[in-house]
Amino acid sequence: MNAAARAVCVAAIAAALGACGRGEHAATPSQAEDTSVVLMPVAADPTVSFSVSFAVGSQDDPPGKEGLAFLTGQMLADAATEKRSLDEILEALYPLASAYDVRVDRERTTLTGRTHRDNTAKFFELYSDAFLRPAFTAADFERVKSDAINDLERTLRYSSDEDLGKAALEDFVFRGTRYAHPSEGTVQGLRAITLDDVRDFYRSRFTAATALPAVGGGYDDRTVAGLGAAVRELPRGTASAPPAIAPAPLAGRDALLIAKPGADSSISFGFPVDVHRGERDFYALWIANSWLGEHRNQSSHLFNVIRERRGLNYGDYSYIEAFPEGGHRSMPPVNVPRREQLFQIWIRTLPNDKAVFALRAALRELASLVDRGLTSEQFELTRGFLKKYSLHFAETASARLGYAVDDRFYGLTGDGHLARFRKMLDELTLDDVNAAIKRHLQYANLKIAVVTGDADGLRAALVSGAPTPITYDSPKPAAITDEDREIAAFPLRIEAERVTVVPVDQAFER
Amino acid sequence: MTNTPSSTALSRIWTLLLACAISTPSARTLAQEAHDVNGIIPFPTTTRTLANGLEVIVMPMPSEGLVTFWSIVRTGSRDEYEPGRSGFAHFFEHMMFRGTERYPAERYLEAMVGIGANMNAYTTDDHTAYHVSMAKEDLEKVIELESDRFENLSYSESGFQTEAGAVYGEYRKSRTDPHFALDEALVATAFEKHTYGHTTMGFERDVAAMPTMYAYSRSFFARYYRPENTVLFVVGDVDPARVLPLLERYYGGWKRGYVTPEIPVEPEQKGERRLDVAYDGQTLPIIWVAYKMPAFAPSDRTRVAAELLAELAFGETSEIYRRLVLDEQVVEYVDAGADDSRDPKLFEIEARVKDPAKIDYVLGVLDATISAARDSPPDAARLAGLKQRLKYGFVMGLQTPDAVASRLAHFIALSGDLEGVRTLYATYAQLSPEDVQHAAQSYLVAARRTIGVLRARQ
Repeated sequence: MNAAARAVCVAAIAAALGACGRGEHAATPSQAEDTSVVLMPVAADPTVSFSVSFAVGSQDDPPGKEGLAFLTGQMLADAATEKRSLDEILEALYPLASAYDVRVDRERTTLTGRTHRDNTAKFFELYSDAFLRPAFTAADFERVKSDAINDLERTLRYSSDEDLGKAALEDFVFRGTRYAHPSEGTVQGLRAITLDDVRDFYRSRFTAATALPAVGGGYDDRTVAGLGAAVRELPRGTASAPPAIAPAPLAGRDALLIAKPGADSSISFGFPVDVHRGERDFYALWIANSWLGEHRNQSSHLFNVIRERRGLNYGDYSYIEAFPEGGHRSMPPVNVPRREQLFQIWIRTLPNDKAVFALRAALRELASLVDRGLTSEQFELTRGFLKKYSLHFAETASARLGYAVDDRFYGLTGDGHLARFRKMLDELTLDDVNAAIKRHLQYANLKIAVVTGDADGLRAALVSGAPTPITYDSPKPAAITDEDREIAAFPLRIEAERVTVVPVDQAFER
Repeated sequence: MTNTPSSTALSRIWTLLLACAISTPSARTLAQEAHDVNGIIPFPTTTRTLANGLEVIVMPMPSEGLVTFWSIVRTGSRDEYEPGRSGFAHFFEHMMFRGTERYPAERYLEAMVGIGANMNAYTTDDHTAYHVSMAKEDLEKVIELESDRFENLSYSESGFQTEAGAVYGEYRKSRTDPHFALDEALVATAFEKHTYGHTTMGFERDVAAMPTMYAYSRSFFARYYRPENTVLFVVGDVDPARVLPLLERYYGGWKRGYVTPEIPVEPEQKGERRLDVAYDGQTLPIIWVAYKMPAFAPSDRTRVAAELLAELAFGETSEIYRRLVLDEQVVEYVDAGADDSRDPKLFEIEARVKDPAKIDYVLGVLDATISAARDSPPDAARLAGLKQRLKYGFVMGLQTPDAVASRLAHFIALSGDLEGVRTLYATYAQLSPEDVQHAAQSYLVAARRTIGVLRARQ
């Protein structure tokens, strides 16, 4: 889809703010439903949301062909089918104000779409053709491949240092595993992919055995049956075991500096955490993480320490699950389920001469959380906040549908993830949360990724460990300047041989 | 001295000022109306103007207990007419989170966190919006908090200077985007006098100087953050009969005092302008062609037709899209838009070119497309398809209270009410292919355009 078409679809997905459990009672599933299809009825919704999630992701890219899943996904969502050329598809979708789009992540490729229920039949024909009858034309392939390479070479490397820093951290932590490269692939990987590779990958991977169909909103029985039948038209196939993702154990602190001339500093750091949706510790850790760094929210403690009190940057947050497009969304995404997750802290862009101070501030707050846990007051405040804030995660049918699909990935039956979360907010105690912090969080062993215009200076500062005092344009209260002295001298413990500098033009090259 | 909303409320009796019919339809009725794409705003609205000039609009819709509360200030970067003040409307948006005597920033935040509110704000050329989404039982608390900060904002000079650092940080994170660089340069070339000549973020030199502007910030608040320059928009699981008295109670004491900004008038452009922008990084070249356009005028058929012209001539089903994006693959994308604005602004066409050697070729195809749009009307069937798309697109965007409010806030800011958007969609329905051609003939005139080309610096 082009930018305008994408906008419709992205709006559908971005506005799809999760499945809070509200509204799941809005309609009763019919007896005629196809039990193979995940359902999320919302009777009052005048639209119908579709999703087919394939158990195929960038982790399945063959070595040397990183980007194969991504290009295959694009060839379903942004290319011709056997029945229609892409311009004919766009022409047909146009009056419906509808679109379908694909998200390719590490574990899953998900084709989503949404239309007004007046137009369900017309839309469904186009949508189902996209995954059943892709044409795989050479012209489409050339276009999506060229766009993908440009996206890595120009957009990721040069247009958003924050996204680059986050991608660099994932690559750094998961190096040596199939989780390392961006879901879009690598420059050389994309260049090596042929149209035949895409055809073969589609035939072998996009099968009924790997597909999970889902429909939500104001659908009818016929739509459910149609989607179930469409998926059964795919080759039966078999579901293969995903590759093992076992990042090397961290020992100490390592830093990766992406040297980009003229850049300010954008910092991400973290480590793997072995805790998942459905597990009691996951929800305990969620409370702790919300207090430390709730995404794009002023309640974030890191936000308050680094931005609100000191004005160093635009925001500072932490995560226990993958959160792509963090600069462009306020609520958690759907369709990015992963077996392996990172705990990570995101320090938004700031001047190079303040980067080490900000890094130290974040490390110090993480250390304090690990060593002392939450106080009773912090725990109660955060628990109260999340009980209502989580209502915003899933305001739309398409978001609820996304959560329901992700629940399948995590093996959650009965209560879904957000329903469990609500129960856990009532059940969990301060001791539970602080015990989970002790079990899963630490600050000794980290990987740090920084996009910076001063790699040499930053490297020297990180390795020397010398204090990095800070000055302000305005007077600050003694409480802040006293704390600043502690932050400025907070131990970095990064050895010279553990700092790697990579020129930006080499990032994600292969 | 702080005049607390609650004490004001105690001395005030609710009176109906400009009354519209209050309706409290059932959820079932609302759901049925929501399915009707022919009524462009499918939810009932109740509008009042308080004695102090504050406009309030309440719009019930099915939302399962969620409500969104928007404060739309009809001031944006357009109002930054004084030299050295570019970016100030956006900066001031940040300052609105710095608290009052009654609710210092920490207490304000604590209260919002306590109710799990999802809150944020943004600034555009023409308006600044503050939005809070919450469970319906917390609406009164939000009204209390919001009315307090709009009436009684209070912050120290050091707090002001600290926030200036955060705003500079926002500038830093944005400036790596080549579109930002081109936009900044293009509007500065296209507008010689009018404040649309700077972006909402402002010039970097002005952003850097913001810590010195504390006294000015108080003047900015006093002049623009006034009831007669603000619209409150409440959407979701609400009953107008209960909400309106609350709004009167908490906002009734807010004093008038809006001072109209002295925004200069842009002289007529009488010759084509061109600029080249060098980008410090790797990027494909970006072409941006911008024609001068009249301001938002929802009943002006030609002005409204320009929006459809953008879609028909340059959208994803256009001939140029098929040719340049799909067949020849010489551009990554081509797109156009005739943005609605309070003052005359731009009809913009943008394309990202894959091969720098093809820039002139693409400019030539753009010119040929413009000539064709001027020479003949679009196909009637395509126009009908676009009208249908506009209706469905609008209705499909009305999913949640926040989505409804964010979609309509723009129009409220332009016209001060919802009549503008209603008129706009009524005008869409009436447009003929000849109206679209007339828009091309009227606005796509070479002497009134600016062409910008951004390339990676060699």
